[in-house]
Amino acid sequence: MRRKFVTLAAFAVGSALLLSGCAPSAPAGSGSDSESADDVTLKVWSWRTEDIEKYNKIFDVYEKENPGVTVDFEAFQNTEYNQILTTGLAGSDGPDIPMVRAYGQLQPNIAAGQLEPIDGKVDGLDDIAPSVLAGAVGKDDGKTYAVPLATQTLQMFYNKDIFKENGLKVPKTWDEFIDVNETLLKNNVTPIALGAKDDWMLPIFSDIIGAGRYGGSEFEKKVLDGSATFDDPDYVASLQLVEDMKKYMTPDVVGVSYTDSQIQFTSGQAAQFPGGSFEIATFATQAPDMDLGSYQVPLPPKAVAEKPVTPAYADGNFAINSKSPNKEAAFKLLNWFATPEFGQLVADDLNQFSAVPGVDYSDKVMAEAWKNYEKSPAPYLLLVNFRYGEPLGTAVLGQQVQKMLLGQQDPAGAASTLQTGISQWFTPAK
Amino acid sequence: MSATNTRRSRHTGITLSKRTGLVFVLPALILFAVFVLYPLLTALSYSFFSWTGIVRGDFSVLDNYVTLFTKLPYRDQVPNAFFHNVLLFVGAMVFQNTVGLGLAVLLHRLKRFKRFFQTIFTLPYLVSPLVVGYLWSLMLSPLFGPVNFILKAVGLDALAQPWLGNPATAIWVVVFVTAWQWVGFPVLLYGAALGGIPQEIDEAASLDGTTSWQRFREITFPLLTPAIGTVSVLTFIGAMEAFAIPYALGGSQGSPAGATDVLSLLFYRTAFESGASNAIGTSSAIATLLFVFIFGVAVFITWFMRKAERKLY
Repeated sequence: MRRKFVTLAAFAVGSALLLSGCAPSAPAGSGSDSESADDVTLKVWSWRTEDIEKYNKIFDVYEKENPGVTVDFEAFQNTEYNQILTTGLAGSDGPDIPMVRAYGQLQPNIAAGQLEPIDGKVDGLDDIAPSVLAGAVGKDDGKTYAVPLATQTLQMFYNKDIFKENGLKVPKTWDEFIDVNETLLKNNVTPIALGAKDDWMLPIFSDIIGAGRYGGSEFEKKVLDGSATFDDPDYVASLQLVEDMKKYMTPDVVGVSYTDSQIQFTSGQAAQFPGGSFEIATFATQAPDMDLGSYQVPLPPKAVAEKPVTPAYADGNFAINSKSPNKEAAFKLLNWFATPEFGQLVADDLNQFSAVPGVDYSDKVMAEAWKNYEKSPAPYLLLVNFRYGEPLGTAVLGQQVQKMLLGQQDPAGAASTLQTGISQWFTPAK
Repeated sequence: MSATNTRRSRHTGITLSKRTGLVFVLPALILFAVFVLYPLLTALSYSFFSWTGIVRGDFSVLDNYVTLFTKLPYRDQVPNAFFHNVLLFVGAMVFQNTVGLGLAVLLHRLKRFKRFFQTIFTLPYLVSPLVVGYLWSLMLSPLFGPVNFILKAVGLDALAQPWLGNPATAIWVVVFVTAWQWVGFPVLLYGAALGGIPQEIDEAASLDGTTSWQRFREITFPLLTPAIGTVSVLTFIGAMEAFAIPYALGGSQGSPAGATDVLSLLFYRTAFESGASNAIGTSSAIATLLFVFIFGVAVFITWFMRKAERKLY
């Protein structure tokens, strides 16, 4: 009797421990019991935890226009998001509309059949820039799976006050560009802040400096159809420009982290910062008093492009879970994502460049960068086209440019390593 | 007296049958099986398949393992990362068995402030390695870091290096910071082992006219063998699994130019950052290889140390 009791008690204690250890958290109630037959709740997932309130405000607009629809917006930690989404899409309690990554990073979800093709079911896709829409297309089947949310543009930011103090103007020619940097150097201001320790910044920098030299979209076409490779003299020359910029950066620039370089720029220790439009919001918070401007790096001698370019890429898409029970409502919301009305909300509330054309930017810095981009867009080549296999084009070039800045590699060697790397999985389309 | 007490209590207490004992163990066993054994075996099984996202494809035998040694970027990065793991191990061993052991011996002889210094040396070990890594990366920053500032202030300009930006020095910074953080561990362990050596032996030897260095070499050091064995195995496992400090100092890419890359970072990149459709297959293969290697070598070190101990006694 006694032994039986002990056995039972031991088991009870043991299993209580076990159960408390792995009890699943209760699923978020969708409140479907109290809703009438027409009412739908759409679950939207995102990695923008910093934008939860803004998104709720945006979806309030939609809910007001579409009675009966409730949009339930949930955001998860950016770095964990891919895992959470993959699990969510595989199970039954995933989102109806997930925010998904663009280009190569989107492909695993498409290959696994987790997303619904949207061709012909969403209006307004044709108006979106091709290189941006490409971020939502399946590489193997060519179908579109999502509506692009935002565009990130790459350009040179500069501190207007420092330019004024040193009697400098935005450079229009390559000679003026070099002159700006030389003058700053002479006046003991670091011309360019770059976080070369974080190698993801370096392909961005390379395209800001060199996309005009190798020819942007034209070169993209040639690489994709196989009539050119990265060993092309024009591409190598663009990397040479990157190396030439080294003297305009902090000595030991490879020891400088990305965040250090942001501080360098926002604290006024450096005059220029080559970066993506995603920096605008950061700079505004870190240095609200700084007079920020941006420009396209002028064309160097022998440039292939006819005018300076702004490289850009799509950042984030909204797709539909192929298992969603509310597809009709989900398609309706996706159609709204492709309207200028939503695009304007993205611009005004999220401070991002909308992927949808016909949007006005009231922020001065954003308006300037967008105007430059619309004048002469180019693809951020390695991200847009060369992240569809291992090794990623951006990862290879990032490390090679790092080696160049360390003096361990020359531009031709860097370009040829890039070509060898991507050749492992990339075959040009004839 | 105490011995009889224990014996009696064994009889008067509740007697557990094997089955009851098993029931007590069962919950822990289930936890172990679910959270350790099962993931281990699934990772092993995953590594034998090709994957598209999370959809399992065909049985691919050893393809994922072959990939690690034949395809870019792995064929370059695996040996590079492995070499850095080995450097970490060697560096940590040298540091712990010289500085760590030396400190332990000094502290052992210390009459006062012994606890105080033990606590001081163990303190970094209580801080998260990520925090330790970030603090050191801030101190070594070429723009704002105090280390180079001080070096320049005292006229050692030549030594004011971009410590984390130069591939030749970056890996040694990782080795040093790791050793710096963990030095309290061998100090404690060796301290305990030193306390366990009967003083009579030392006294007898000194009466026989031995020097203190002789006593350390012939008596103390051999009697520390079990502790050295434990420190070696744990250091080896720690060095092979190193992630937090290299991540904090060099980022997930092992900057600069792969100079601080280690196998766990390579695994992390492959599994969570590459976005490659076969990420699960390749990363599982890395994880399996790493586990087999750590397990094998740890077993070997333990066996070797046991043998060395048997020879001594």
